[in-house]
Amino acid sequence: MSECPDIVQLEGVTRAFAGIKAVDGLSLKLKAGEVMGFLGTNGAGKTTTIKMMLGLLAPTSGTVKVLGGDPSDPRIRAHIGYMPEVATYYPYLNARELLAFYGGICGLDAKTVRSRTDALLESVGLADAAKRPLKTYSKGMLQRAGIAQALLNDPDLLVLDEPFTGLDPLARIHFRELLRGLKERGKTIFFSSHELGETELLCDHVAIMKKGHCVYQGPVKDIAGDGATNLERLFLKTLGEAK
Amino acid sequence: MKLFARQTCALVKLSFIELWRRNDIFALLLLGLALMVPLSMATPFGAGGASRYLDEMALLLVWGFSLFIALGAGQRLFPPEFDSRTIYPLLAKPISRGRLLVGKYIGAVAASWSALAFFYVLFVGSVVLRGGSFAAELPQAIVLHFAFVALAVAISLFGSLLVTASANLSLSAIVLVGMFFFGRNLPEYAEGLNPALAWALKIVYAVAPHAEFFDMRQRLIHGWGAVDYGVFMTVLIYAVWYIFVVILLADVVLNRKRV
Repeated sequence: MSECPDIVQLEGVTRAFAGIKAVDGLSLKLKAGEVMGFLGTNGAGKTTTIKMMLGLLAPTSGTVKVLGGDPSDPRIRAHIGYMPEVATYYPYLNARELLAFYGGICGLDAKTVRSRTDALLESVGLADAAKRPLKTYSKGMLQRAGIAQALLNDPDLLVLDEPFTGLDPLARIHFRELLRGLKERGKTIFFSSHELGETELLCDHVAIMKKGHCVYQGPVKDIAGDGATNLERLFLKTLGEAK
Repeated sequence: MKLFARQTCALVKLSFIELWRRNDIFALLLLGLALMVPLSMATPFGAGGASRYLDEMALLLVWGFSLFIALGAGQRLFPPEFDSRTIYPLLAKPISRGRLLVGKYIGAVAASWSALAFFYVLFVGSVVLRGGSFAAELPQAIVLHFAFVALAVAISLFGSLLVTASANLSLSAIVLVGMFFFGRNLPEYAEGLNPALAWALKIVYAVAPHAEFFDMRQRLIHGWGAVDYGVFMTVLIYAVWYIFVVILLADVVLNRKRV
């Protein structure tokens, strides 16, 4: 049986800003169909890593390969879906227009955009609010619009930055189910989060960052313990905060 | 090519929606309507000279409003994307920064042109209602005004990537309005100055955007006829060349900008 290809491959990646290393010597691998949770405190280097994976930032040293190529190449990004931490999408558009806009940017034809928009708005629970201007949306609704735009191009890799931020408990459950469905469809998902419980429920692997260094990386199933608090203990232990 | 066309269409549509759904554009259009309709009704003393004075006022309003809209459209292309963080999902899509810049620029120009077209409809309507007419200079005047708007959008876009919104709008307006009114006299001013200042003024004359080249208001008002087509085409080529250089510089700045 042939081994699954590496969808994300980071080797010795360092990114410095004015001499300060935000990410230092990070190596990561994520195979097709896997879900990885990317954890760490604020300022640990999670968002910088994500930006390098999307080609938005070039690494100071090391190599970043996504889907077998350089993510700064738009052809590679055509197969990536990205949802930022919190984005206030264009307030004058409604959700349908937002997806039509991003569909055009992805180069999709109008018919494909229309059919995917209907399905996505339904699946993220925005079908009823599809014609309302985005400026009237709550934070949770904007997050759902964000996931819809990330899925519009039917990406092979989904990169989510703090996807659970701002979601109420019900929306959180729906969102978790949505990600599970994507995982079952074989999508590769990489997400940063502060939500340890959600991460443990969804992920195959976790990586924990501390001050730019990856201090833990491994499969979730290897974490011994008793349910939802496992990852929390590991997280505290790895960051040296365990009592 | 198909991808570029779809991306550009999406960006143009976004610019149109943003411009036409903003309340400030409607305030401006209503103001234009409120000022130009009375002008179209007025026939002071039935004198041709007074009528021309009204045309001049109306055209100055059209120029002022179009500059306001063009600078605003250029300014709003990138800073709000950074502020609202929508730049991240946008640049994570299969579009390069250069294409995004060009697409957004085309969108802003198209949207500004639509507003300018509306003002010209009002202006021409107001003149016709007063029993006036236009000769061959009208199409030339409109085309050059449209070129000026495209130039103003480019300058404002470039400035928006370098300085804050208020600084960009103030500087762009000062440069364009200054050149509009005083550009043609700069070499004359330079003659009376000491050599260093004269050189500085000559450099300004060479580098600054010559907004005055696009102004055919006097020809339109006094019916002096169309300009020579060679001159007209030279001004258009100047506009295209200037826009090309400004957009190229904006591309360099945007590509170096950390997101």
